Amino acid sequence: MNIDNTASQMRKGVLEFCILSVIKQGEAYPSDIIDKMKEANLNIFEGTLYPLLTRLKNAELLTYRWVESSSGPPRKYFSLTEKGAAFYKELEATWNELANAVAAVTQPSTTST
Amino acid sequence: MKQVININFHGRVVPIEVTAFDILKQYTDSLNRFFANEEGKEEIINDIESRIGELFQERLKAGATCITDEDVHAIIRSMGRPEDFEPAEPDAGSYEKNNQGAAEAETSFQSQSSTTGQPKRLYRDENDKVFGGVCSGLANYFGIDVVVMRIIFVILAVSFGFGLIPYLILWVAVPSTATKEIGGMRKKLYRDGDDKIIAGVCSGIGNYFGINAWIPRVMFLLPFLSFVTRWNNHWGDFGFPDFVRLSFSPGALIIYIILWLVIPEAITTSEKLEMKGEKVDMNSIKNTVMEEMKGVQQRAEKFSKEAGAMAQEKSKIIGSEIRTAARRGSRSLGDVIILIFKIFAYFILGSIVFALVMALIALGIVSIGLFPVKDFILREGWQNVFAWGTLIFFIAVPIIGIITWLIRKLARIKRNSVPMRISFIGLWVIGWVCFICLIAFVSRDFKSGNTLREEEVALNNPGVNKLEITSLRSDQKYYRNRWFRIEPFESLEEDTVLVRNVRVNIVRSKNDSFRVTMLKMANGNTRRYADTLASMIQFNVVQQDSILLLDRGIPITRKDKFRNQHIILTVYVPVGKQVRIDKSIGWWHNVRFDGPWTNENNWDIDIEDAEQGWDFGIDYIMKADGLYTLDGTPADTWKHSENKNEDNPEGFRSPDNYRYDNPSIPVVDSLKLKLELEQQRVKDSLQRVKENIDRQLNKLQARVDNKKSLQTSSLMTYSPMLVVY
Repeated sequence: MNIDNTASQMRKGVLEFCILSVIKQGEAYPSDIIDKMKEANLNIFEGTLYPLLTRLKNAELLTYRWVESSSGPPRKYFSLTEKGAAFYKELEATWNELANAVAAVTQPSTTST
Repeated sequence: MKQVININFHGRVVPIEVTAFDILKQYTDSLNRFFANEEGKEEIINDIESRIGELFQERLKAGATCITDEDVHAIIRSMGRPEDFEPAEPDAGSYEKNNQGAAEAETSFQSQSSTTGQPKRLYRDENDKVFGGVCSGLANYFGIDVVVMRIIFVILAVSFGFGLIPYLILWVAVPSTATKEIGGMRKKLYRDGDDKIIAGVCSGIGNYFGINAWIPRVMFLLPFLSFVTRWNNHWGDFGFPDFVRLSFSPGALIIYIILWLVIPEAITTSEKLEMKGEKVDMNSIKNTVMEEMKGVQQRAEKFSKEAGAMAQEKSKIIGSEIRTAARRGSRSLGDVIILIFKIFAYFILGSIVFALVMALIALGIVSIGLFPVKDFILREGWQNVFAWGTLIFFIAVPIIGIITWLIRKLARIKRNSVPMRISFIGLWVIGWVCFICLIAFVSRDFKSGNTLREEEVALNNPGVNKLEITSLRSDQKYYRNRWFRIEPFESLEEDTVLVRNVRVNIVRSKNDSFRVTMLKMANGNTRRYADTLASMIQFNVVQQDSILLLDRGIPITRKDKFRNQHIILTVYVPVGKQVRIDKSIGWWHNVRFDGPWTNENNWDIDIEDAEQGWDFGIDYIMKADGLYTLDGTPADTWKHSENKNEDNPEGFRSPDNYRYDNPSIPVVDSLKLKLELEQQRVKDSLQRVKENIDRQLNKLQARVDNKKSLQTSSLMTYSPMLVVY
């Protein structure tokens, strides 16, 4: 088993969830998303982010609007669609379940109390 | 100093260095390839590019005059290279794949491609590998268990060493499964110009296989080490190297040179990254889209241009091959096999050229080694001129020519200097002329032999019981520790050399006393001159009690020249007497120039009833039917077995008949006879011991005498102690 591979699989799983949660907090510009993720110590490449956003948009979970910027061409600001919000809720529930389960499995002493 | 260009990048005018632009272009190309099969590819690329443009803007706003290489690198670092991206799911958005279950997802690409109807392709399996994943790849391809495949290869490798070669070929030729993963690295073989000792071949190989550059370096050096030791061995054992075998041992050099010519050097940044496998991957399997094809084609064209510039038409062929291969998207097995065949062909060609050069060098060394004795062979005037001409033009010129050619080739000097070539060929033709003339002149001087005249050697005591034939040559050998040594002649002095062309024949004597005759032989351009030379041979044979002392060799002077002077000494041994020939007269030192001119085979003149089969340093006793050792074994076993039936036809009683079944003795009382024989034997052995001691004493005495005379004047030894004409 390759540790990098496993780690990347894990990260990949939560990435969409994280991105959706950032966007849920308000309309977001991709570099804002990156910054927020970085703050949370979750490093991803912008090159990874853009395709993911496009995929989510194509799946009609996200939508975007053009916002004029002071410098140069307009920027894309992403926001959740209704479908996206529902999807997010589902993911959140799954995540909480998963987090609890993982905590229970990995730290049995703390959960037993 | 760098050139700066202005580009229009997503609605922004960006001043950018040319080199930085190249890097940027490669990066965007790699993105294009990466997202080639992605839905909404245009949008993704657009987004990324506009983000890059934004970042450029920030830099420029911060006061930068233009975008530099570092800027682009920094941006690429923050954006991430395709291989850094999280592996994308082929069809994200629809989540069918998850339903297919873990098992399906885990299976390698082969099964996926077969389900999607794409042709099955052979890959090395990076996820299940021991060395290169060849076995697991083959097993996947043929649907066999990996273990079976591995066992097959191990058996092949162990039993014939044969499995290794296909394994290595497949390792190189078959793409890794890593290539089918998006962003997986695809290495290419380049020479590493940044970390080179000679041409960066080894470090390039090290990069390709992900090993330390010193491993291939050592592998290349090892054959050289063995080459050196082998050289020494041949030197020591024979004093003469085995050039044919030597010429093939430094094969590593040839392989290195070929690789040097074939493998392009990593010059551009992308090539360097590609070399180390950090690259933007060029031949990713997913590249079926048109853009991809264009990219590869462009690259291949660039590649072949480089290859074309690098060497001449040969590498151009390879370049075009690479181009065609690249056009197809990736290297196919066939191309690689052709390439390997080509490398082999070059290897063989190189070996032949190398062998030729080595042979010439060998010839040169031999002739240089012979040069000190040249004056003893060649006459003044034309022969000397031709000898020099041969050495310079026939031997040196082609060596220099080939070496120059190689250097020019390796230094990539493409200029075809016709005058140089013509002058080289012209000089070599002169060399041929000299060589042929030299052979012709010299052979004329060896043309005819002398009139054969046997001379009697006076013995002061022909009645001795035993004659030991030995030479003045001392037992110790002088080795001058020179790296190269060819000494055809015994000792080289200012104007005299000794040549040990002495041959001894043993013949049964008709009467009961020893007799020695000497036959002097020489060659010359006329019979008369040969006769003169033969008569000038001073070779002394002196008897001292039971020792027959021969000179160390035939003296040859600069004036008289060496013309195959040699001596055949015939020793007539009476029946019942002993003879021993010392090793020191050994005839393996024979020096002679043979050639088509020696029409008379005067060397091996057959002396009638000469004894055969005897050895040096062994006591022999002459019997009626030939030589026997003291314990009764016939010297000439072959002849003896032939004559076995005619046991002692003359009824001769040999003195040691106790060993010999003589039918003429009536066996009256076997016991008494046995007793007598026993007594006789004891007596004989005592006698022999006494003789031995005497002989040793004599020998010692003789040696002391010799040393004295040698010390006073070396020439004294050759001076006639006893003239025997």
